[in-house]
Amino acid sequence: MSDAALAAAQARYALKGFLREPRTFVFTVILPLFLLVILNGIFRGRSSFFRMRVPFAVYYTPAIISYQIMLAGYSSLLIAVTAERERGMLKRLRGTPMPSWIFLTGEIIRTTVVVAVTVVVLVAVGSGVYHVPIQAHTVIGLAVYTVAGTACMCALGLASTRACATTEAASVAGPFVTLILGFISGVFIPVSIMPTWMLDVGKLFPLEHVARGLQQAFAVPGSTGITAIDLAALAAWGAAGIVTALVSFRWEPHDNW
Amino acid sequence: MGDRVIEVRRLRKSYGGVERLHGISFSVECGEVFGFLGTNGAGKTTTIEILEGYRARDGGEVSVLGTDPARAGRDWRNRIGLVLQESELNPVYTVRETVAMFSRYFRRPTDLDGTIMSAGLADKAGERVGRLSGGERRRVDVAIGLVGDPEVLFLDEPTTGLDPAARRGMWALIEGLRRAGKTVFLTTHYMEEAQRLADRIVILQAGAIAAQGTAEQLSRSLGHATRISFLAPPQIGLAQVSAAVGTRVEQDGRWLGFRSDQAQRDLTALLGWAAEHSVELTDIRVSPPTLDDVFVQLAASPGDAHDDSS
Repeated sequence: MSDAALAAAQARYALKGFLREPRTFVFTVILPLFLLVILNGIFRGRSSFFRMRVPFAVYYTPAIISYQIMLAGYSSLLIAVTAERERGMLKRLRGTPMPSWIFLTGEIIRTTVVVAVTVVVLVAVGSGVYHVPIQAHTVIGLAVYTVAGTACMCALGLASTRACATTEAASVAGPFVTLILGFISGVFIPVSIMPTWMLDVGKLFPLEHVARGLQQAFAVPGSTGITAIDLAALAAWGAAGIVTALVSFRWEPHDNW
Repeated sequence: MGDRVIEVRRLRKSYGGVERLHGISFSVECGEVFGFLGTNGAGKTTTIEILEGYRARDGGEVSVLGTDPARAGRDWRNRIGLVLQESELNPVYTVRETVAMFSRYFRRPTDLDGTIMSAGLADKAGERVGRLSGGERRRVDVAIGLVGDPEVLFLDEPTTGLDPAARRGMWALIEGLRRAGKTVFLTTHYMEEAQRLADRIVILQAGAIAAQGTAEQLSRSLGHATRISFLAPPQIGLAQVSAAVGTRVEQDGRWLGFRSDQAQRDLTALLGWAAEHSVELTDIRVSPPTLDDVFVQLAASPGDAHDDSS
């Protein structure tokens, strides 16, 4: 079996395990759908967004998609990889002829598939139920930010495993960091009613750039929302994540460190 | 080298400035079950993890299948099988799915169903790992270790934590591997397990080899350790029993007992004395030497059975 085929098999295996685990399935697939429905149920009418008045659904659909990219890309990868490390599975895999990068590639492919499928579902619900218009520029921005955002979040997820000594720690840290960034990045509360200083803090982190970029792709007529500053922020965070992961990643359970 | 699968010379390893392995040497021949025996903390897992390529050594020479594990690559990993001491499996996959995934990692995997069957899991193949008993999970570990058809299998304490029935099942499995001609490196802290399964045994104590030889050689040199004990009969003094068996009998709570290097002779004397005096002995136990007994013995006679240079 070639290494590419092995990575694909590893990804299929990881996906099968993901779908069988009720907790991760509920938090990564069901939760964002509920958030979309609840937020659109609370806020009716229009929100100001960059000196425009846009329907709340046009604000929240891309916002929840950005949140989902972090939840599935960062949090769920962090939890899954930490759990396998603490089980001793990563150590066991290191003892087989399979190169270690194939395992991580399989996990990243699994994560990307989950992100892609859930983003499509969220777009379909936004468009079908809340009449959010999806045009060519929206689709381009969506594709670019989903790919760049997922890559950045996966790198940061792997980089964060070292800080989590147990699976429980990862299960708390992943959703916690995602939730806090969600608040300061204007995912749950419209940016028009948030204090400027908090938004400025939010801009320091990657989620804000995915959220704002996607919102522009959805709200601004003719705009893909793609800006150099947003992509540069994601690239910088992604690069920092890759370097941190390469330097600090551990294959053995915490007891053996 | 000849038929030597594993060759270790003057192996040293320190952690935090404290030396844990003091230059141990031993070798494992092709097709034998090699018992690596020691208490917790003796250095068994450190040694096996150096042989498996997980840890770097600080000194000495190590060769496994003619290769230094510290420099070994993918080809070498295709030829070894590992059963680690403490590692869990993801509970959501079935036995078959788990073993199948591992079989993909190897260039020449064995027949999947055959491996699951020989691990004694034929009727559990479709069961999720999370629903298995401790003994069954350990069998999955062994199936994973065997699925690459390795030339040498490392088994790190395969029966620790198992109940007696599961332990006997694991023993039968390892005996089957021996019959199939597999080279097995087995660590254990059960003397009985090593004596039952291993062709040759090394006893590791505090990072040094305290004794080595075949099970028979060790038994002969450590023959004193058989322990005979029974519940103390009422109104019988220690002196009377001691006189009957011709050795000093000791009291331990409600028990009387003594050590014997000729269990048959001493038991005959004990039972003959009891019959003659109409004493009813209950709960008579004849226990083989435990690892603790062996260490007591080794400490008492440092010159005997002591060989850490070969």
